Amino acid sequence: MTGRIIIERCVMLAFAAFMLSVPWSVPAVVNTFWVSVIAEILIWSLFASSVNLLFGYVGLLSFGQALFFGFGMYGVGIGIDQLHLSFWPAFGFGIVAAMLMALVSGIFAVRLTWHYFAIITVVFSLIFYFLAVTMKPLTGGDDGINFTLPPTFSFGGTQWSFTNATFQYFFILATVSVCFYLMHLVIRSPLGKAFLAIRDNDVRASLIGLNVYLLRLTAFVMAGFLAGVAGALFAFFGRYASASYMFYHVSGEAVVWAIVGGAGTLFGPIVGTSLFIIIRELVSTHWEHHSLIVGVMAILVVILAPKGLVGLWRDGLDRLMARDAGDGAAEKLPADSKLRTDP
Amino acid sequence: MTMDTLLLLAMNGLIWGLIIALIALGLSIIFGLLDIINIAHGDFFMVGTVLAWASLEATGNFWIGFILVPLICLILGALIQVAVIQPIRGVAALSIVATFGLSLILQEVVRMTFGATPRRILPPISGTVPLFGIEYEIYRLFAAALSLAALAAFFVFLQHTKLGTWMRAVRHDRDTAIAMGVPAQRVYIVTFAVGFALAGFGGVVAAPITTVDFRGGVDLLPVCFIAVIIGGLGNLPGTAAAAILLSLLEGIIQSVANPTVARISSLVLMSAVLLLRPQGLFKGHVR
Amino acid sequence: MTEPVLRTENLTKRFGGLTAVDNLSLSLPRGRLQAIIGPNGAGKTTFFNLVSGLLGADGGRVFFLGRDITGLKPHEISRLGIKRTLQIKSVFNQLTVAENLWVTRQAGNRFLHPFRAASRDLETKARVEQTIEQIGMTALAQRPAGTLSYGDVAMLEIGMALISEPRLLLLDEPTCGMSPAETERAVAKIRELARTIDIVIIEHDMEVVFGMADDITVMAQGTVLASGSPKEIASDERVREAYLGRPEDEDYVEEAAHA
Repeated sequence: MTGRIIIERCVMLAFAAFMLSVPWSVPAVVNTFWVSVIAEILIWSLFASSVNLLFGYVGLLSFGQALFFGFGMYGVGIGIDQLHLSFWPAFGFGIVAAMLMALVSGIFAVRLTWHYFAIITVVFSLIFYFLAVTMKPLTGGDDGINFTLPPTFSFGGTQWSFTNATFQYFFILATVSVCFYLMHLVIRSPLGKAFLAIRDNDVRASLIGLNVYLLRLTAFVMAGFLAGVAGALFAFFGRYASASYMFYHVSGEAVVWAIVGGAGTLFGPIVGTSLFIIIRELVSTHWEHHSLIVGVMAILVVILAPKGLVGLWRDGLDRLMARDAGDGAAEKLPADSKLRTDP
Repeated sequence: MTMDTLLLLAMNGLIWGLIIALIALGLSIIFGLLDIINIAHGDFFMVGTVLAWASLEATGNFWIGFILVPLICLILGALIQVAVIQPIRGVAALSIVATFGLSLILQEVVRMTFGATPRRILPPISGTVPLFGIEYEIYRLFAAALSLAALAAFFVFLQHTKLGTWMRAVRHDRDTAIAMGVPAQRVYIVTFAVGFALAGFGGVVAAPITTVDFRGGVDLLPVCFIAVIIGGLGNLPGTAAAAILLSLLEGIIQSVANPTVARISSLVLMSAVLLLRPQGLFKGHVR
Repeated sequence: MTEPVLRTENLTKRFGGLTAVDNLSLSLPRGRLQAIIGPNGAGKTTFFNLVSGLLGADGGRVFFLGRDITGLKPHEISRLGIKRTLQIKSVFNQLTVAENLWVTRQAGNRFLHPFRAASRDLETKARVEQTIEQIGMTALAQRPAGTLSYGDVAMLEIGMALISEPRLLLLDEPTCGMSPAETERAVAKIRELARTIDIVIIEHDMEVVFGMADDITVMAQGTVLASGSPKEIASDERVREAYLGRPEDEDYVEEAAHA
């Protein structure tokens, strides 16, 4: 097992080095457009990881994370456009709005499980989608609102703002990295272990003294935080907020990304999101029906590789390591045990 | 806001309610028997409308569509069940992902073949009847009658045919049914096929009074789910009743507020039911 | 005269038309290894479910060390010190043996730290290692619980019950599905634990029960049929009647009567 960890550490280091060099290395190889694509991938990976936190670690499949994304997005949009907040207050406003919404809706949603939980998350997100569409003066409805971004930092004469593509990229990279690091800490912590126990066997969990409802609610708010940050970043990135990003399609795509990438792994969402967005960018210039690919891949992954790409990678590596070590100590779980198959 | 307008909206709501009842029943049996949240169900309806248009184009006769389209949907449904749904029965939690993928595929395939421009079909029965102060399309009344007949036929099928009885047995108690020799595999295929066919038939019936568009299923999906939940999972008559009442209610609310508000109130009601009385509002067979 | 560890007053539970537990009143004193036996459908597991909070009672009350615990939620009852195992052995399959014990130990804390690494908690680490040794699973510590044999899962369950320092341990058919060797191991372990912890066992294996229990309570049709020492129970006519049709148990009952 440790062999695999060493390999993964190397891969992560290489990956980190690459990410830091993007504003210079990518335009050299392709063109500057792809820098902003990568920035977008980072934002959507964060959104996908909010789905991943709930499903991969707590066992709750939420199909309505777009609601909190939307609150983060509109928090920034409305904050800047109508409340005339500057950068950081608007950022905070968006995040707090998303977390509050997650708390309020979670109090109700987390009482349900299995299919009913998924359904109610969609219903909540639909309610607010329709509200957003109706309240056009506030939200711009489906067309959305555009705004200009105040600077992020200003000291004396110098200003740093998102209009500078490099600064924008690094700000997004930094924020997303911090969020992933926080996720990493939580997963390793006693709280994270409790999440896994609940995902595995919630009756047993309550019998050992875990307050399953409260823990699920905590996870739900944390996921709301992640989605809200993603939404806020998105608003900064596009200088734009629109109700269409609260529709269940957006939630659904994030679920597909998280699962294809590998639910229950830290980097699964990044892998899945990158795959689909890169496919979208490459394909859509020649063929407008890239959604077909998304659909087919979603089905194929569920049937053939429910653990996702990172899951496959890990199994493959484990098998290789075990064969090399020859000690037969690679304890394989039954193939589909990664997922809750019982209600 | 005259009484006539109110009655008009109520009438429209009622007619749509009957059509939606058909579609929602399809969703309910798929959810109830196969334990699957079928995100693609609205797209099944959409495929029905598109096939109706296609059969009209091909044969010049809309009436053939009423037979052809459900037939095609039965076959398609059976194929999808075997190719997609059956293999994922081991990972039920992910069924929602697979049906979401199916939804994307159906929409894109339709967009590729049928195109992105919405089309309209002329009703096969032209002419109007004076009703509520305006000239009311006869086809709408015909559509209501047809839907009612289809609903009745479906319930007869469930009660009085071998397949229908097997379906009810599996829905009631899967393990006992299998132990007693009911061929579960076959029942699953039939269920999914019938579910698709119900939605598809609803599509044919509705095609002349709505637009035929590759996005036509998206709006319908929430309504169907609302009907299934409020009616009660596994409670088929309840689902049909809920669909009709909801549509009626939304029609009436539309007379005083915009359609989105009506939709929001249905969704709020649905949330309340999910949280407080998940077995649905109506008495009857509870799963 | 100290408080009984577990006492119920007219405890009742109905499922539709079936009364699974019927006005059950019993009192289990401290310091004795209690066994509850009875034919299938007697309501034994339902009784455990009621005590541990997995089911809500339709009537009556449950007292733990004098405290009324009727209606409390499962995790609250667990926090009070009542731990139980389930009839169908179940642990956290995707966590390792060590992690299963970890999470059980830390579940007792009011506050679960969200950011500090779980592995940094040295006190828990020590307890986990100690418990793994106690149940004899040091070699299997890093194995995912889902890959263990049934007997090992049962042992792990006992370990999980142990590590949380229970005041009352409810074991639901602990030797069910075990081989003779595993049964011996489990019985020895339970006897050892019973020296310091109050234990109530539901069992079907008469050899185990009569060899281990200090007191036996016989349940039938949701209520207490008889209770007393193994000898008294063995010679009780009503008990024999209740067990009619189980010749292998009759033999043990005979043996115990003449022991």
